[in-house]
Amino acid sequence: MVATEPRELRSVGQRLKRIDSPKKLTGQERFTGDLRLPGMLYARLVGSPYAHARINGIDTSAALAVPGVAAVLLAADLPIREGENPLASDEAIYNGQPLAIVLAESEAIAEDAVLLVDIDAEPLDPVTSIEEALREGGPQTRFSAAHVDEAEARLHNSDAGAAEEKVLPANVTNTVDYRRGDIAKGFADADQVVELTITSEQVHQGYIEPQVTLVAPSPLGKLDVYTSTQGMFVVQNKVAQTLGLQASEVEVHQMPVGGGFGGKFGLNEAMVALAAVAVNRPVLLQLTRMEDFLSANPAPACEIRVKLGGTSDGFITALQADLTFLAGIAPSSPLGIAAILVGGYYRFPNMEITGQEIISNRPKSGAYRAPGAQQASLAIEAAIDELARALGKDPMDFRLQNCAVEGDERPNGGAWPRIGLKETLEAIREHPIWQEREAIRQRGHGVGIGVGGWPGGLEPATAVCRLDADGKLTMMLGSVDLNGSNTGMAQIAAEALGIETDDVNINVGTSSSAPWSGSTGGSKITYTVGAAVQRAAEDARKQILEIAAQRLEASADDLEIADGNVQVKGVPSSSISLKQIAELSMSGDGGVDPVLGRGASAITQAAPGFAVHMAEVSVDELTGETTIHRYVAAQDVGLAINPALVEDQIHGGVGQGIGWALYEGMAYDDAGQLMTASLMDYAIPKAEMIPNIEIILVQVPSEHGPYGAKGIGEPPAVPGAAVITNAIRDATGVRVTHIPVRPEIMARALDSAAAAD
Amino acid sequence: MAPQRMPVTVTVNGSDHHLLVEPRHTLLDTLREDLRLTGTKKVCDMGNCGACTVHVDGLAVYSCLTLAVETDGHEVRTIEGVAPPDGLDPVQEAFIRMDAFQCGFCTPGQIMSLRALLDGNDDPTDDDIQTAVSGNLCRCGAYRNILRAGRLAADLQRARRESEVAR
Ligand code: FES
Ligand code: FES
Repeated sequence: MVATEPRELRSVGQRLKRIDSPKKLTGQERFTGDLRLPGMLYARLVGSPYAHARINGIDTSAALAVPGVAAVLLAADLPIREGENPLASDEAIYNGQPLAIVLAESEAIAEDAVLLVDIDAEPLDPVTSIEEALREGGPQTRFSAAHVDEAEARLHNSDAGAAEEKVLPANVTNTVDYRRGDIAKGFADADQVVELTITSEQVHQGYIEPQVTLVAPSPLGKLDVYTSTQGMFVVQNKVAQTLGLQASEVEVHQMPVGGGFGGKFGLNEAMVALAAVAVNRPVLLQLTRMEDFLSANPAPACEIRVKLGGTSDGFITALQADLTFLAGIAPSSPLGIAAILVGGYYRFPNMEITGQEIISNRPKSGAYRAPGAQQASLAIEAAIDELARALGKDPMDFRLQNCAVEGDERPNGGAWPRIGLKETLEAIREHPIWQEREAIRQRGHGVGIGVGGWPGGLEPATAVCRLDADGKLTMMLGSVDLNGSNTGMAQIAAEALGIETDDVNINVGTSSSAPWSGSTGGSKITYTVGAAVQRAAEDARKQILEIAAQRLEASADDLEIADGNVQVKGVPSSSISLKQIAELSMSGDGGVDPVLGRGASAITQAAPGFAVHMAEVSVDELTGETTIHRYVAAQDVGLAINPALVEDQIHGGVGQGIGWALYEGMAYDDAGQLMTASLMDYAIPKAEMIPNIEIILVQVPSEHGPYGAKGIGEPPAVPGAAVITNAIRDATGVRVTHIPVRPEIMARALDSAAAAD
Repeated sequence: MAPQRMPVTVTVNGSDHHLLVEPRHTLLDTLREDLRLTGTKKVCDMGNCGACTVHVDGLAVYSCLTLAVETDGHEVRTIEGVAPPDGLDPVQEAFIRMDAFQCGFCTPGQIMSLRALLDGNDDPTDDDIQTAVSGNLCRCGAYRNILRAGRLAADLQRARRESEVAR
């Protein structure tokens, strides 16, 4: 169901099939881990057995003696020129941190050898929790020199909103501070005040394809990097810098990505490149699932306290929030985004948002689809629900009365541009489940709603296209297709040029040949690269029309492109085919320039996206198990370039939201050891855990995106935990504030609620 | 400590292979490394994800939990052996029509699970379909469309068979 119809378009807006179809269904698609090169070695990592330890020595002799082992590399063996060594030498700072790399003729041999590497280490006190990190005189994440730089960084790292620069406590690496109005007066004016604290655990992106990289020194002196990454140019620069090479000496081959979700912006590429150069042979490293859990870049745990006041006529008077993110070993949390979103969905006349980032002895944190937004939504949407209840208001009406619209101020200054939050809320309000929620409650089920927002991503992008000899268009890009965006790019190009989508070929080049573009992530590929694609195709169209105008002796303004021909408008008999134009432009005596369209975009205003979801749930009183019966996802997508692919993204986001809400959490023990390092202990939702998802696309066009499109990848992953905990509240009367809501947590909450009655 | 290799004769996608494998080697590694059939994916290597699903004598198994030596004298079918020479299998066809994949990494395993189901039963219930893929993780969120594709594949398969009977 599409709420508003866009203007008439031919390709854009169509439900077209994915252009990468057959290969991925027949096993013919080659992912990075499927590549083999002559002389290639398999790498396996030797990880730190401790979360924090002094390393006294590493004995590799027994491992080296295993037949088929080519090398066991330690930190000192890597030809590193700049930046931090990917292998630890004196001090290990998280469980699983790579200490050595075994290179062998087969994976099995490498695994055997790993077990024979002898590590002499002395465990030190780790920082493993928020409480430990903030305890006066408590442990610090490292004793070595790197910490000095961090202390230095802390002096400068306070966010723009901070009142003044101050020296932060040890282990605190970042703060935010946003204020507006008079917070004391805001609460004094309130008729009701609610307060709650939500906590969430560290979670993993859960991409099914593990992190994987193959690096081969080429006989021509270059370094070939084949990798599953969301950002080929980021990887190129990082590898070049680390090895002291020119960027042009590193050629990154963008491989298909078997799921990224923010976790693949460059991880092991530099390490594998160093190993490959050290032994001058191709090296493949595909992390095992356990290594991936231990040493990749998961999303940090956090705690958010919210206090909210409102009046009996239904207006919010004050918001006070305090956020704490428990990042991994380096500053890497989405504190700023979370703070902006906590204070961004509604109009808060008086506001005080503070927050801090803490580092700990865990792997460095990474982005996970809408970083920070999931937790921010959980906090603010739980509080809004409670405040509405306290005031005796309908939670939907209360949201509609207070929600932000274009022009409302955001916590970090600046107004919201055109956003579709209100329209998306209204779409859910009209849904039968919301209308019939009283009857649903009679059945013992509960209905919850929640808002999820994403500020939108920006990064400049370019695209280049050429008219091929067969009259088709090849569009060259430097951005990877994660989940079908290239199909959308083909539709945009076809629309702009006036040809069929099938006649557009999308080609992602290597870092040496592709037009530059930013990484794929943050919901910005369609918005920014799509705009470049549109302009490149329009540029090509102009050139084509000029050639045709000459040939047809007509004015370019009087021409149109239809059915693969350029013709005088309304006079199909006076025409020239695109194929003829291409041939002409490529022949020695044609006298016309070959068609080469170029497009660039450097959009400076992001297009924020909003989703509002609704769930009907029930909770088993005995087991505490939550069942989701129905799920509705409404989202403002600006304009759906390909509604089928947009819906796929929403399916994926909802599934991950359900994972956040009910199943996923990386648990560490007090010694900082990861206890959930397999897909058996870490629960990624299975098919039977995901209900039917009804999707409502709302289309409030963006001002700068191609044909009004907005980024759509992050918003659907945001509201899940808020929606489900609000629905649980509706069903049971119990407010759960920790995610994931494991059955035992739920059962205990039900018990204590019953005891309190 | 070089382990003794053992001779294994196995039929893979219709052709016989005489292999020498280490007793500890999994069918998954043997398919990927020795036979270079890389459509079968290695993800968890311990039976938790289904990406490595293949058929042994028509039954869906996790190839990461199957030793290569166990397949001596048996028939193995992988994703590379599913499509008829001149087109696609009904399951693959249904995956396109129902848009049942995104990144495509879990897809070979999903298809093998459904193919095994339909080999034994071409009129499965929704529950049968869900059970068939319940051991196959998909992080991109293709689940609902995978279930729809399972239903469509059954329809396509019956239609194909009926048209063959008619001929
Ligand atoms: S790789 Fe076999 S089940 Fe995961
Ligand atoms: S399609 Fe990506 S994991 Fe299933």
